[in-house]
Amino acid sequence: MIPDRLLLPYLWLTLFLVVLPQFVQGVDHNNIDSGRPLSFDDAEAVALRERSIEVGLGGISPYGSSAGMTLDAGFLYGFALNSHLMLDADAVAGGRAGSLDKGFQIEGIKFGIFHNFNREFGNTPAFSVLTGLDLPTEDGSNGVAIHFRGIASKVLFQYDRIHLNLDGIVKTDAENFERGFLPRLILGYSKPLGYPRSFFRTGVAELSMRSTELKGTGPVMSFGIGLRQQVTVRSVIDIGISSDFWAIDQAPHEDFKLIAGYSVSF
Amino acid sequence: MNRLLVVFISFLVLAFHLSAQAQTENETQHQGHSSTGKLQDTNILPPPPANLPDWFNNKKKNHIFYKRGKYNYDTYNIKRLAYDLNAVAVGHAMAYEDMVTGKAVGLDTKTFDRINWVLNNPPKFMPDEANISPTFGRKYGVLELVFDWTHILHAQTVDVLASTDFTEEEKDNEIKALWKFYFESVPYAISPLPMNMAYLDGQPYSGAFRTKYPKVNGLFWGYHWLQGAMYDALLNKTLQQQIDVYEVFGDRYHAIELYRTDRSFMPMFAETSPRFSEKYPYIANAFDNLHMLHDMVNDILASDWIPEPEKEKQILKAIWIVSAEAHKGETPGDVKEEVGMHDHRFMLGMPGMGFMKYGTEDVMFMDNMGWMSMADCHHCSMPLAEGKDAWRAPTVSAEGWTMRTRCALCARDMAAETKGAVIIHLPTENPLKPAVVISDEMGNMTTDSPEIIFLENEKSHRSCDRWSLTFSSLKAFQNYVAANPEFKNAQPVSFEDWSGLRGKKPDTYVKPVGPEGNPYDIQPEEISMENE
Repeated sequence: MIPDRLLLPYLWLTLFLVVLPQFVQGVDHNNIDSGRPLSFDDAEAVALRERSIEVGLGGISPYGSSAGMTLDAGFLYGFALNSHLMLDADAVAGGRAGSLDKGFQIEGIKFGIFHNFNREFGNTPAFSVLTGLDLPTEDGSNGVAIHFRGIASKVLFQYDRIHLNLDGIVKTDAENFERGFLPRLILGYSKPLGYPRSFFRTGVAELSMRSTELKGTGPVMSFGIGLRQQVTVRSVIDIGISSDFWAIDQAPHEDFKLIAGYSVSF
Repeated sequence: MNRLLVVFISFLVLAFHLSAQAQTENETQHQGHSSTGKLQDTNILPPPPANLPDWFNNKKKNHIFYKRGKYNYDTYNIKRLAYDLNAVAVGHAMAYEDMVTGKAVGLDTKTFDRINWVLNNPPKFMPDEANISPTFGRKYGVLELVFDWTHILHAQTVDVLASTDFTEEEKDNEIKALWKFYFESVPYAISPLPMNMAYLDGQPYSGAFRTKYPKVNGLFWGYHWLQGAMYDALLNKTLQQQIDVYEVFGDRYHAIELYRTDRSFMPMFAETSPRFSEKYPYIANAFDNLHMLHDMVNDILASDWIPEPEKEKQILKAIWIVSAEAHKGETPGDVKEEVGMHDHRFMLGMPGMGFMKYGTEDVMFMDNMGWMSMADCHHCSMPLAEGKDAWRAPTVSAEGWTMRTRCALCARDMAAETKGAVIIHLPTENPLKPAVVISDEMGNMTTDSPEIIFLENEKSHRSCDRWSLTFSSLKAFQNYVAANPEFKNAQPVSFEDWSGLRGKKPDTYVKPVGPEGNPYDIQPEEISMENE
């Protein structure tokens, strides 16, 4: 029998696994969105009128707690040239960083708008911004968080690209023991693998540093690597592993996180 | 914490700095390579117009999702064709990337081998060309935009033709809708007007690429051959017929067309898909113009005597020349200047092709065929059906060309006179039920419609479109005979008997001749020596 706390995630996952193959058409392994599988974005928007669904399932090993699992699902829609809307929901069950809770919980629903200002040309990186609102869903949480991400993508040699993400999250109703502003810096890296004989795989890696919510703790540095693999004409699977390898002053963090996901556009 | 942040940020700054440096070195290398070529006066290069439209300065990606439809990706119904098209995308991109990263010197050797491997081991999905040629895209982003958008039209029209969910009428409507989507969604569509090929191929840099890199140019023109030939190979055919026909086309593409270095000009749409070009001339013209843009860009990049900044200008000019915007208000047949940018004349009987080099309204030169008329049957010289009756013309595909004929006898006898495998497309009385006949290298004919019946009551070819016909059934044959008493004594001919018949030499045949002084009338030996 499936324990009650895992019932909802189980149903959610089943629903996606059943429904998604019918949409098997979209996305590209070389266009990278946050969470698929690491936390950085590249500076590319989805195409005008493109719709994309992205889901991921993860296992986490939080510091000082038992193992848990995460589930995230997102929907992207290219509503204008070089711009897309993003709707994203994250859920967690079992152990998690910085909390004693173990039950299933939807951690947040995010709504965002992504806009790409320019493609990369000459020596100028491609620039984009992602901005939006994180709506609270946890018990007892109030206010919203406004998030902002600036993204610059640039070629490193010929095919390698680096993606600099600068995040800022402003919490409108932070408690006294919480920080009201949470910055994060991520350096992402992507490289198509298999050229010149194979064209359907991209390796990704990231190094990031973030502030934590609890005053008096942090920062946390993370490293992650992953792989994106085209599996049909328009769909991609991904897998990634990351670790918060350096956390100062007992900052809540995850020793390891393993994530697998699936993206499809239609 | 502050110290950590400083270290981290300085690391990021260093990474971006290294990235910029690596790229600058790469481009400097390329420029250095370019400057080693022969010097010519760049004053002979007419500059692009002073006030190009804003989109020429575009610095955005501007990706537009393809038009949704139940036919999306149906090219994969004919897997071999889909895979070959995937490989074409890789081939183009690899060559362009090498040309702008200082590797042009190895284009006909290392690059050729790399592309050739992919052509023989084609990818299962369509790769994003921008991923394979990132340096080219950073340098020529507007060109990439134009190429990509027109390639989507290419892909989607083939999807429609390969669809099993649509009737022929629905396919026709959707192809027209796709054109509208292509033409009206962006300002950078390619012109649908016929253009003068002598003008497009008469630029100061023209011919540089094919002279310098004949093998890779052969591959490019092989792609263009495939991208043209596939349309008639799919038009008005069942899926099984399409698969069978592509077996023949695919074999030829891989064995011969990709490796030809003796073509006198790029393969044109109407030479390889005359039925499609007659039916959708605006699409055929746009694709020919796109392919000429590829050639012009190749020639510019291969011209070492043109300095790098001037190359960029000339590429913009080439885009302008073939863009729809440059020809606003002009219509097929208009000719503001003969053999100039605004010469939109087309041959009699073929609105889907501009004037060819040394061609006239009546004749053009085709490799392996000589001078020919697009309005007349190449076998009997009598006028082909046109307008709403154009679908009644059979076609013969052999030796890399596809020609329309006036009657079934002309098609069969023309096939018998040609080397190698041949595909005959035979319309019946029912436009939705054409028959496909495949003749192998020994001349043995097979068809997927063995029930077809022929009328062959041979007389003068002045009326061969009345006495040599194909019917989908005996009943259809009988109906025709009953409605045309002159054939009351005609006997139905089965496919088996018909395939063994041979007609007399057509009494109406006149060998077309080219205009006086044209260079194609040099003896073939002399042409081949010149090419060597």
